[in-house]
Amino acid sequence: MTEKQITIALAGNPNSGKTTVFNNLTGARQHVGNWPGVTVEKKEGRLNFKGRRIRVVDLPGVYSLTAYSLDEVIARDFIVDESPDVVVDVVDAGNLERNIYLTVQLLEMGARVVIALNMMDVAASRGYRIDVPELSRLLGAPAVPMVAARNQGTPELLATILDVAEGNLPAAGMNLPYGRDVEEEIVKLEKVLADRPGATLYPPRWLAVKLLEDDREIVKKIRQV
Amino acid sequence: MQGEEIIRVRDQSLAHLRRVHGDDAETLIADARYGFISGLMKEVMTKPAVARVTATDRIDSFVLNRWLGIPLFLLILYGVFQFTFTVSAPLIDLIDSGLGWLAERVVTVSPAWLGSLLSDGIIGGVGAVLAFIPVIFLLYIALSILEDTGYLARAAFVMDRLMHKIGLHGRSFVSLILGFGCSVPAIMSARTIENPSDRLVTIMVTPLMSCGARLPVYALLAGAFFTANRGLVVFGMYAIGVVLAILLAWFFRKRLVPGESGHFVMELPPYRLPTVASVAAHVWERGWAFLSRAGTIIFVVVLAIWALDYFNVLQHIGQAIAPIFAPAGFGQWQPAVALVFGILAKETVVGAFGTLFAGAEGTGGFAAVLGGQLGWTPLIAFAFMTMILLYTPCVAAIGTIKKETGSWKWTLFTVAYTFALGWVVATLIYQIGRLFI
Repeated sequence: MTEKQITIALAGNPNSGKTTVFNNLTGARQHVGNWPGVTVEKKEGRLNFKGRRIRVVDLPGVYSLTAYSLDEVIARDFIVDESPDVVVDVVDAGNLERNIYLTVQLLEMGARVVIALNMMDVAASRGYRIDVPELSRLLGAPAVPMVAARNQGTPELLATILDVAEGNLPAAGMNLPYGRDVEEEIVKLEKVLADRPGATLYPPRWLAVKLLEDDREIVKKIRQV
Repeated sequence: MQGEEIIRVRDQSLAHLRRVHGDDAETLIADARYGFISGLMKEVMTKPAVARVTATDRIDSFVLNRWLGIPLFLLILYGVFQFTFTVSAPLIDLIDSGLGWLAERVVTVSPAWLGSLLSDGIIGGVGAVLAFIPVIFLLYIALSILEDTGYLARAAFVMDRLMHKIGLHGRSFVSLILGFGCSVPAIMSARTIENPSDRLVTIMVTPLMSCGARLPVYALLAGAFFTANRGLVVFGMYAIGVVLAILLAWFFRKRLVPGESGHFVMELPPYRLPTVASVAAHVWERGWAFLSRAGTIIFVVVLAIWALDYFNVLQHIGQAIAPIFAPAGFGQWQPAVALVFGILAKETVVGAFGTLFAGAEGTGGFAAVLGGQLGWTPLIAFAFMTMILLYTPCVAAIGTIKKETGSWKWTLFTVAYTFALGWVVATLIYQIGRLFI
């Protein structure tokens, strides 16, 4: 097949059912290794869908994308360095408010996100009613309701991934406003970052935000310039 | 730029934010994320009643209530103007009498033209504007407190439902509220609106919001003609501005720039006690703009008015224009001149009155002069105030509209429609009011 391979990264909180989604997607075609330079397990799998070859990389389960833990740094470095075609964010619909924190951070990075809205059965049993189309619209990222434990929603998820990867479905993303005072400082920093010789992989707005958050990895990277 | 320099710029930003908010930028950014998420959750998820209720939830159950939300917002706005005017009135009188004393001392300076320049031009004109510093600063203090506590975000959230009905979004309302301070940053803030049609319409109606520069005009006229109810009258001006901005936005959205409206999340940051440093920084930022305008453009314009008046040219200019405004009740040459120069900066309307009626001291003095020389009644003063509110935005705002829309067509349209709207509304008020009074 001459088709270009599609790379997707699987992100999500611990206990969001990410591993189950990974297994549903890849079946037995898995490969376990280590992330380069560290002893953190890296799982990869492959599948074919509608004639496309898809490579799935399972990122460490994280709640956030700061530089405080190795897992978080691994997850976000992969998204920046490898620029996967799609980042699938597995979200526990029963703990939507807590899980969406990671989604927001992925969108802030400018990743092309597809939300796998997992455990819809748990959410329903707790009496939560989630307006999925509105969630997609407001976040600028398609959301697919699923119950991974019963392998429900996997074909829909794959179809959505393909649509986003091939540009048939715009993953518009969103610009999170940080408040007037912070925004002013972001503009200043974006300007000095733009003056820096040598382009960067990181989106400048995200870089500015990370500098203000005093993110030690990003500060280190900038210092080295 | 080298890495270390970037870090230095970053450190300055962090120090600035810490000074203003007393919090790390990291905390502010995390708060923004949580605010976004809690707004998002309110829009997409319904949960069965929960046991754990935070203080923010309890306050929000009133503030965001479907029926109470908008009346509460209006009540708070009304409270702001009552506070502003009650507290500032004695301060303004104090400054006025100080300036009056000073004007009497310098009017005798020779040569006569210099005495007139100092007393009528500078003290009468620029001083008349500066006398309203207390009103401006108090309003800015009140607005900054509302902003820093997180209430303005709620007001926008409450208006979001209504805004959706007119084909706009709550974020447009955030720009409109910022317009209470100054149209220029308010118009620029429409950048956060991603949908181009929404953004254009927001920019076009933002000048209808009553900015800080118009406040001295209301303070002067409401103080002169509506002493007992001045807070209410000024609140009325702001309310007319909001209502017309929303009505016209609906009309423009329907007729001029149709298309689907964008969707955003309305952020709901947690309530916070505002810090003194943060309020002070915001007040200073807004207030400084007013002070520096008084020292620059207003100073120059008022001097130009004085010079044209001194050489008897001004009256001819005014008399040529005045008939246009006769149907609205203020067809005299002095208000016509004030309106023309007001396009350069709205505060100069007060400066113009100060120069043209030099010697009138305090709001009481202006009541006597405007009533006696021009035959103004409270009705005419009210019609004139609505004209000030609605007519053509100042040049700084016009320039910003051009820059932000990138279109001369929409800029000139805004200049024209606002003038027409001001004239029509002022005329209607005067003509209909006359039937009853």
